[in-house]
Amino acid sequence: MKKEEVLSIIDKHRDQGDGLISVLEEIQTKYSYLPAEALKLVAERTGRSAVDVYSVATFYRSFSLKPRGKHLCLVCQGTACHVRGAPQVEKEFARQLQVQPGETTPDREFTLETVNCLGACALGPVVVMDGHYFSNVRTSRVKSILDKTRAGLDDAELKADLRDFVLTVSCPRCNHSLMDPHHPIDGSPSIKVTVATEGEHGWLRLSALYGSFTVESEFGIRTDAVVDFFCPHCHAVLKGASLCPLPQCRAPMVSMIVRAGGVVQICSRRGCKGHMLDLNGSGV
Amino acid sequence: MERLCSIEELKRLRALLVRDVDDRRPRIVVCAGTACQASGANSLLRAVKKYLIEANLVEKVALRITGCHGFCEMGPFLLTEPQNAFYARVALEDVPRLVQAVLADAYVEDLLYRDPVTGEKFRRCDDIPFFKNQQRTLLEMNRKIDPIRVYDYITHGGYQALEEVLSRRNREWVVEEVKRSALRGRGGAGFPTGLKWEMLARQPKDRGKFLVCNADEGDPGAYMDRSILEGNPHSIIEGMLIGAFGVSATQGVVYVRNEYPLAIKHLTIALRQAHDLGLLGNDILGTGFAFDIKIVRGAGAFVCGEETALIRSIEGKMGEPRQRPPFPVQKGINGKPTAINNVETWANVPLLFRMGAAKFAEMGTKGNGGCKVFSLVGKIKNTGLVEVPMGTTLGEVVHNIGGGPPGKAKIKAVQTGGPSGGCIPASRFDLPIDYDSLAQAGSIMGSGGMIVMDENTCMVDVAKYFMNFLKDESCGKCFTCRKGTQRMYEILDDISKGQATLEHLDLLEELALAVKDTTMCGLGQTASNPVLSTLRYFREEYEEHVYEKKCRAFVCKDLVGAPCQAACPIDTEAWRYVAHVARGEYEQAYQAIREANPFPSVCGRVCSHPCESRCRSGTAGKQPIAIRALKRFVTDRVDPSVYRPRRTKAVQPGGPRVAIIGSGPAGLTAAHYLSLAGYASTVFEADAQPGGMLVSGIPAYRLPRDTLGKEIKSLLDENVTLKCNTALGRDITIDELLNDGYRAVFLAIGAHKSRALNLKGEDVPGVFPAIEFLKSFNLRGQKQARGRVGVIGGGDSAVDAAGVALRQEGVDSVTIFYRRTRDEMPAQKKDIDSVLEEGVKLETLMTPVRILTDKGRLAGIECVRNRLGEVDAGGRRKPVPIPGTEHVFLLDTLIVTIGDVPAIEFMNSMGIEVTDWGTVKMDPATLATSRAGVFAGGDVVTGPNTVVQAIAAGKKAATMIGRYLRGEDLKQPGVPLLPEVYVEPVQLDDDALAEANRVEPPVVAPAARRRDFNEVELSLSVEDATREARRCLRCDLEFTQPKEDAVPAQATAGVTA
Repeated sequence: MKKEEVLSIIDKHRDQGDGLISVLEEIQTKYSYLPAEALKLVAERTGRSAVDVYSVATFYRSFSLKPRGKHLCLVCQGTACHVRGAPQVEKEFARQLQVQPGETTPDREFTLETVNCLGACALGPVVVMDGHYFSNVRTSRVKSILDKTRAGLDDAELKADLRDFVLTVSCPRCNHSLMDPHHPIDGSPSIKVTVATEGEHGWLRLSALYGSFTVESEFGIRTDAVVDFFCPHCHAVLKGASLCPLPQCRAPMVSMIVRAGGVVQICSRRGCKGHMLDLNGSGV
Repeated sequence: MERLCSIEELKRLRALLVRDVDDRRPRIVVCAGTACQASGANSLLRAVKKYLIEANLVEKVALRITGCHGFCEMGPFLLTEPQNAFYARVALEDVPRLVQAVLADAYVEDLLYRDPVTGEKFRRCDDIPFFKNQQRTLLEMNRKIDPIRVYDYITHGGYQALEEVLSRRNREWVVEEVKRSALRGRGGAGFPTGLKWEMLARQPKDRGKFLVCNADEGDPGAYMDRSILEGNPHSIIEGMLIGAFGVSATQGVVYVRNEYPLAIKHLTIALRQAHDLGLLGNDILGTGFAFDIKIVRGAGAFVCGEETALIRSIEGKMGEPRQRPPFPVQKGINGKPTAINNVETWANVPLLFRMGAAKFAEMGTKGNGGCKVFSLVGKIKNTGLVEVPMGTTLGEVVHNIGGGPPGKAKIKAVQTGGPSGGCIPASRFDLPIDYDSLAQAGSIMGSGGMIVMDENTCMVDVAKYFMNFLKDESCGKCFTCRKGTQRMYEILDDISKGQATLEHLDLLEELALAVKDTTMCGLGQTASNPVLSTLRYFREEYEEHVYEKKCRAFVCKDLVGAPCQAACPIDTEAWRYVAHVARGEYEQAYQAIREANPFPSVCGRVCSHPCESRCRSGTAGKQPIAIRALKRFVTDRVDPSVYRPRRTKAVQPGGPRVAIIGSGPAGLTAAHYLSLAGYASTVFEADAQPGGMLVSGIPAYRLPRDTLGKEIKSLLDENVTLKCNTALGRDITIDELLNDGYRAVFLAIGAHKSRALNLKGEDVPGVFPAIEFLKSFNLRGQKQARGRVGVIGGGDSAVDAAGVALRQEGVDSVTIFYRRTRDEMPAQKKDIDSVLEEGVKLETLMTPVRILTDKGRLAGIECVRNRLGEVDAGGRRKPVPIPGTEHVFLLDTLIVTIGDVPAIEFMNSMGIEVTDWGTVKMDPATLATSRAGVFAGGDVVTGPNTVVQAIAAGKKAATMIGRYLRGEDLKQPGVPLLPEVYVEPVQLDDDALAEANRVEPPVVAPAARRRDFNEVELSLSVEDATREARRCLRCDLEFTQPKEDAVPAQATAGVTA
C-alpha cells in the first residue's frame, strides 16, 4: 500500500463530493481489501474518528479487512440459487479449496466468499469467478471451474477459435491504414500508432487480434497513465468523443476506422481493458 | 452529439432519427444482459462480429446489442428482424447460417425455438407462449434499444414524456397525473407514488430537494431492477427528470448495488450522454429547469432498502434506520426533503405520461395501476423476467408463462417478496397478484421476486434460509430484531436437525409475532413473514421434522443422512452395499441388502428404485448410480445362506398368533418380521399359490419364477403357516379369525380388481380387464390375446400386459393407447423402452370414446386425440379432447388397465371402514384400521403401488402389530436413520471418476426375446459393477468417517466385519 495513492483517492472523492463509502470502495478495488493503515489515513484526512470509519467498513458486506487471494470466488446464496442447490456448491468449493467461506487459501490463490444475490437468478446456482459468470453450476463442475481459473479465464476465452478474428483499421482522419505487416503480434499484422505521455513519445504497436491486450512500445509506459494517440501518417490526434465506460477509469477513448465497416474504440489508459467494437458506426 | 437548446430541437432530432429508420433492413439482435452474458452472450457477439467482418457483411446486416429481454433460461439467444424469429441457446457454429438466413429474409427451421412441452415450433418470437402471455410495457423497450445509444431511446419515443411535461410547464398537473395513474411504489410496500410526490412538492424549495432512485436491489431472487438499469438506463433518467420538475427537486441520486457492474457502466454512459445532449444539468432544453443526477454505489447491506437507512448510506454512514417521523420527504439526505422511489417505479413514469394516466390505471386493478415485472425463478421451466398487468393470477404466471415445473417434481409453493415476504402454496394459485391480495395471503409483493418451489424444496429449510439471511442483515439497532431473528434461526436450525419438540413450534410462532410487533423498521416488522407463512401453510412439514424426524424434500442433512437410504421406503443402506461392491466384498454387501429387505432378488429386478432418483451423483449433475442393477449383481453372486436372520426373541408355545390376509410382498414381509420378533402367524392366500401380484401380475421375463419361488420359500419358516385357496369374505371372516384365537389381523389383500372404462360394449368377448388377462396367463398359462391387440393405460400393468400379449402366439401387433404424453406415463421408463424395442407401438394423447363390436365380438375402438390443457390438482396437465379428431383402430383383443382397485365390497360388513376411493381406511402413522387389532397395508390401502412400498408396509405392520400385542403405544417418535457403519473407501483419483458414466445392465437382443419368457435383463459383469460402484460419491462418509483424533481405523474394523 502506498500512502500517496490512498491520499489521492481520498482527495479525488472529496473533490467530487462523494461519501466515505465511495472512498473505501476505491481503496478496496485497488488493494482487494481495506488495509488498516489505509483506514487510519482516511480517518485523519477526512477528520472523522477512526471508530466511525471502522464502523462503516465493517457494516457493509462487500468490504473485507483481510487480504484476499489472487482469485475471488463468489458463490451466490440468493433464494433462487439456494433452492436449486447452492449450499452443496458452496460446500464443494470449500472442500476442494480446503477453506471456509470468507477465508483465503494459504497459498493466497483463492478467496472463497458467499454473496446474498448476484441478480442472475434465472441461471442459478451462479458462481462468479474474477468477474466471470458460471451458470447452473452443479457440484460436479466445481473442479473444472477451479482448473479453468488456474489456467487463466481471459486466456481460455481468447483461445476459443470460433471467436478469434483480426481487425484491419485505419486513421479516422486520413483513412491511411494503421496496419504494420512487418511487425506481427499474436501472429497477425499489428496496429502501429504514435503515442505520447508524461513527456515522452514514440511508437506503440497493438495486437489486431480482437480481445487480445498485447502491446509493444518504444518506451515504458506506466500502468494507469493516460496516453495520447496519434496517427503516424497525418499526425492527427486519435482521441474520440466518448470516455471509457468503466466507472473507475473514465479516460478518453481512442477511435479507429474498421476496414470492414464501423469503428473500434479502445481506452487510452494503460492497463485498462475498456474497449468497444461498434460495427454500426457512430457509437451514439 | 450537439447540445439541444430547446424542446423544438429535441423534436427535430427525433423526427430525423425516425425518418432514417429502415424497418426492412436485415438486423441481428443479441441480448447481452448479465444473465445472457453468463450463458455466453459475449462469445456469441464476438462470433457474430467475426462473421460479419470476415464475410464482408457489415454494411448489409445491422447488429443490435441489447439489455435483458427476460427469457434468461434460453440464453444466449438471437433474434432476427424483420422476421421476428427467435433462436434460443445459439451455438457459435450456427452463426454463419443465421446471418445468411436473415440476409435472405429466411428462417433456419431446425434452430427455431420449440416449446419444450408440446414440441411446437414457433417462427415468430411474439407467438412463443412465454412472451405471448405477458403484457410487456417496460420490458418491450429492452428489445428495441441498445442501452448505450441514446439515439435508439429517442427514436423509440424516449424523452417524449419529458417534452410534454416541460411544454406544459405545470407542476401540479405532473403530480396529479401520477396520482391519477394509480402507480404504486414497485419497491415493495406499494406506497402511492403520486401521494409521495405531492408531499415532497409541498415542502419549501429554498433548501433544495433530493430525488433518489433506489437500485439497491437487495431482495435475493429479484433482478428486474438490474435488467431495467442495464437495458434502458435513460428511462430512469427521464423518469427522475419528470419527477424533479413536478416536485421542484434539484439533485438526484441513483443508489445502486456494487454487485451490478454492467448496470453502473450503462448508467454512467447514459448520464454522460444526457449531459452532452443538454437533458441534464442547468437550463435543460433551454427551459431554465435544472436537475442533475449522480451515482452512489451501495456496499451490500439489505437494510439499506429501508429508506432512512438508505439515506444514511448515501451520506456515507452506517446504514442504520432511524425513527420516523420526520419522514424523508420532510428531512432526508443532509436534512433536505427527499423522495425515494425504486428503479421500476421511475421507469414507469415516462411510460404513464406517454400513454396517459387514465390508460395506465386501466391496465391494472382498482388502485393498482400498470403492469409489474416479476423475476420468475427457482423450480420453473421458463425462468426469466415476466411482466403482467396487476391482478393476473399466480397460476397464470407459473403455468402459462413459466411453463410449469422443469421436471417431474410438482410445484409446491411460490415465494414472493424475498426475506420480507412469504410462501404461497399451490392450492392458492388462483390468487390475483396485487399488493392487497398478497398481503392478505401472508406475503407481500416486494420488489417482484417470485421463487418457485417444488417437492424438493423443504419449507423448514426455506424459513431457516431467510432467517439466516435476516439475522446477518439485521442492523442490530432494535433488540427484538437482533436477538429475535437470531433465536428464530436457532429454533429453525434445531427443527431441521431433528432436535426440536412440538413446543418449539409454538415458541417459534410466539417469537415471530413478538418481533413483528416490536421493531422499528420494515426489515424487522416483516422479518417474521417467512416463518409465519410457512407455519400457516406447511405446518405438517414442520411437524414431520419434529415428530417423525423426516425431511420429505431430502434437504435437511441431519435428517436425511445418505439420500439413497432415506429415499428407500425400507431404509436399505444402499451406500453400504455399493461400498462393499466397490471393494469386491459381495457377502457383506448381501448382508446389508438382506437385513433390510426380505426380497433382495425380486427388488434387484423389479424395484422402482426411489434411491436412484435421490442419488446425489444424479442431483449433482451426472447420472445416478445404478443401485438396482448392483443389487441384482450381488444377489446373483451370493448364496442367500450367508445371511443369518437376527431373531430378537424365540416364539413362545401358546403365544399370540397373527392372521395375515394375503401372501404378496406386504403379507409375507409382515409374517417374516413377526417371526423374527417372536410371533407366529398364519398367512391366508386366496389363490392357489403364494406371491400375490409378484406372481400373478409381473411377467416371468422380468422376474423369473424360480428366483421368485426360492425367495418366497425362504420366508416360510417354522413360525409361518401358509393356507392357500382361502379368501377373506368367501372362506373366512375377521370375526372368525379373532374368535379362533388370532390376536391381530393384517389385511394385505392387494388391489385385484380392474377399473372399468364405463363404455358400452366393455363386456363383449375380446375385452379383458388387465388383472384377469395377466392372472390367466401367469397363474394358469391361458393365452387370451390374438390378432391385433390394444392396451389402454400407461402404468406398469399396461406395459406388462403389452409385453405378455406380444409374446403369445397368434398375436400380430400390440398397441398401447395412453391419454397423456409418454413423459407422464406412470410405468418405469426402462420397461416402456423395453417393450417398444420389442415392437409394441405407442399411441399417446389418445382416449377411447367407443368400443366397436361386430356380431357380439370386439371389432375395434374409436379414439379421440387430446391436447394437454390446464394443470390439474395433481400438478399434471389435463388431457383435453380435440373435437373432430376421432378415428378408429381395428382390434381383435383389448386389454383395459386404467387402474386397479381393491376388491373389498364386504369390508364394511366386517366393521372395517372404507374410503371414498374404495380402499381400506387406516391411520398412515400406525396402519391401524377402524377396528381394534386389525391393521392394513399395501395396495389395499394405497391402490396399485410398487413392490418396495408393499414390503415397507409389511415391515411397518410387523412393528405395529408387535407393539399392539405387547400393549405398547403404537405412535412413537421417529429417529433419524443416519449412516453408522464405516466402510473404508477405495482410493481413486478424481479424473478417473470424472470420466466414468453410468453402467446399464446388458439385455437380450429384442428380436430374440419377444417370442419367449426368458429373462430380458442380464447381470452386470464384475468389471462393470466395480466401476459403477466406485462412482458412488459416498455421502455416508460425512457421518461415518473416523475423525483423525478419534478412534483409529482398526478399532472400527470389527464393526464392518
